Amino acid sequence: MTDLILSGVSKTFGNTRAVEPTDLAFAKGQLTALLGPSGCGKTTLLRMIAGLENPTRGQIKLGDDDITDLPAHKRKFGMVFQSFALFPHYTVRENVAYSLTIGGMAKPTALEKAESLLATVQLNGFGDRRVGELSGGQRQRVAIARALAQEPQVFLLDEPMSALDAKLREDMQVELRLLQQRLGITTIVVTHDQREAMTMADTIVVMSNGRVEQVAPPQEIYHKPANAFVADFIGKANFFDGLYQSGGVMIGSQTLDVPANFAPESPVRLAIRPESACLATEPGQNRIAAVVGFVRDLGPVREYHLTTDIGPIIVEYAAGSEEQKLTAGDKTLVHLPVDALRVYPRAAA
Amino acid sequence: MTVADDLNVAADIPAKAAPGLTRKGALYGVLTALMVVFCVVPFILVIVISFGRKIEGAAWVWDFTFENYQRFFVGTLWPDEVTFLYLQQLGYSFYFAIIASLLAVLTALPFTLLLTRLKRSTQAIWLVFILSSLSMSEVFIVMGWDILLSNNSGLPKLFQVTGMTQWLKDVGWFQTLRDIGLANPRNVKFKPSEFATILTMSYLVWPYAVILLYPALSRLDPSLSEAARTMGASRWTVIRTVTLPSIRLPLMGTTLLLFVFLLGSYVTISVFATPDKQTTAVAIYSNIRGSNLNAPFGSAQAVILLISASICLYFGHLLNSKAEAR
Repeated sequence: MTDLILSGVSKTFGNTRAVEPTDLAFAKGQLTALLGPSGCGKTTLLRMIAGLENPTRGQIKLGDDDITDLPAHKRKFGMVFQSFALFPHYTVRENVAYSLTIGGMAKPTALEKAESLLATVQLNGFGDRRVGELSGGQRQRVAIARALAQEPQVFLLDEPMSALDAKLREDMQVELRLLQQRLGITTIVVTHDQREAMTMADTIVVMSNGRVEQVAPPQEIYHKPANAFVADFIGKANFFDGLYQSGGVMIGSQTLDVPANFAPESPVRLAIRPESACLATEPGQNRIAAVVGFVRDLGPVREYHLTTDIGPIIVEYAAGSEEQKLTAGDKTLVHLPVDALRVYPRAAA
Repeated sequence: MTVADDLNVAADIPAKAAPGLTRKGALYGVLTALMVVFCVVPFILVIVISFGRKIEGAAWVWDFTFENYQRFFVGTLWPDEVTFLYLQQLGYSFYFAIIASLLAVLTALPFTLLLTRLKRSTQAIWLVFILSSLSMSEVFIVMGWDILLSNNSGLPKLFQVTGMTQWLKDVGWFQTLRDIGLANPRNVKFKPSEFATILTMSYLVWPYAVILLYPALSRLDPSLSEAARTMGASRWTVIRTVTLPSIRLPLMGTTLLLFVFLLGSYVTISVFATPDKQTTAVAIYSNIRGSNLNAPFGSAQAVILLISASICLYFGHLLNSKAEAR
């Protein structure tokens, strides 16, 4: 069941195409993360959904209604801004009650409802405070409560965690996800933090240069990245450029077996996650001689930085799970399992 | 260098620093003296002269009498007869200054809001243009408006030539203009009138209003109004509930500043206000430099005008403090 549908939506500012024609469907009651680096067009896309920017082309539909030209104040999508945009001249309670009072609800009733919303975001007793008296996390909760006050059909969040410190951000990600699941509101979160997207989202939309690169659930995005950009942007990956030859990819003097078919001599890029590669002791398929350059112990994981004929490779183990413990300067073999290798076409140099 | 040499050097330091301190002290002394001579002394002189006495048919003499203040508030014939002529002039000073400053701020506000939404380079061009307009003197501006509103060569003539006057008569609005003093039996006339006075006074301070409002409006976070819009607020509701309250302090500050500036407006009032609506500033001039040559009374009026402005500023400050405390 889909709710919000974007068909061929694009946005151009002067000569710059901020968002390429985009088709997306946001499932009702689900949380979708728009993920990408700065300037990839994700905020512009969110602003078009909110009605704060007019699409240059395309159509936005909510259910059966075309809302492309509907102004923001008539869409009434709840939105949390990066800066939270709380009104400094109102108290916390008045901020939360804003949409209700301007919508014509009697002020006492609106303030009462605001109080219950503050309880929902665990801010009981904060109603009389001024915005300036709140911490970053509290401000974010007020912004969420305020956006939810009008009971929006779609809830939009533009980099909602970027103003918070790392620890608070992690807590708020879980809290926001639980709240969204409890309320069952269609939610779209813009973020450049892949960890945040992986934590909260049912579906991730990865964007780059105004284009949607992949739309999939978090695990699929991680394990089956659609292209080299997604593989690089989501998590860590080892990359190797080579030429496809029947059944394998030639990288320098080495040939690796790969699970893909390309035209002979096609330039390709191989990717493999550090945790999918492993150290080996016996020669075999896709096993390459390597020298340990550096061992990085991060506590829960240990990384081996290897030098090989096909380029540098990082191999990652959960701490203590590796069969052999090596130190810098040790010679070894690195195994790149066929089924863990991803192969992507690459523009010829 | 030995330890003894070090000690000698250390001993020399205060001796070397002393001339520097003296020079600095002398500089501060001269600056303070200049401030006293050019700012405080004239001000004290005005206060002292306001207690002086005018000798009829001659000059004024030093004295300590409250006659001038009494004359201002209740007239010279008090207690037999009470007149409020000078209080009325003070009232007109306030009247013109309040309306003109409000008009200037109300028209400058939307302009400045739009200005802040333009490209930076375009904003800079506009700001330079507005700043340069500040270099024009009041006399020059009033002369321009005097010609623009004059009956023989200005807008009234244009109204007549283009048939606007006849049209106003045909639709029945001409009589309304006559009733409010903006027309004679033949044509529209804009001066002397309150309309011309307020319009020119507003024009005088309008660039100041833009310059004073610009910093606050350019710092206004656009996401505040966008947030309000996503919550169902129309553009007018956004202005009423978000924009105006957010810039309440600069708005009040600007209005107060323009108001105080306009309280002393002289040329505009002399040219455009009707004789029965002259202000305290004009009366001060005619007493000190004009036909009356009654410096003590002129000084008393100046002191009262100054105190009135100070009271207004004080109340403005109180309001600001209360708003900030909220």
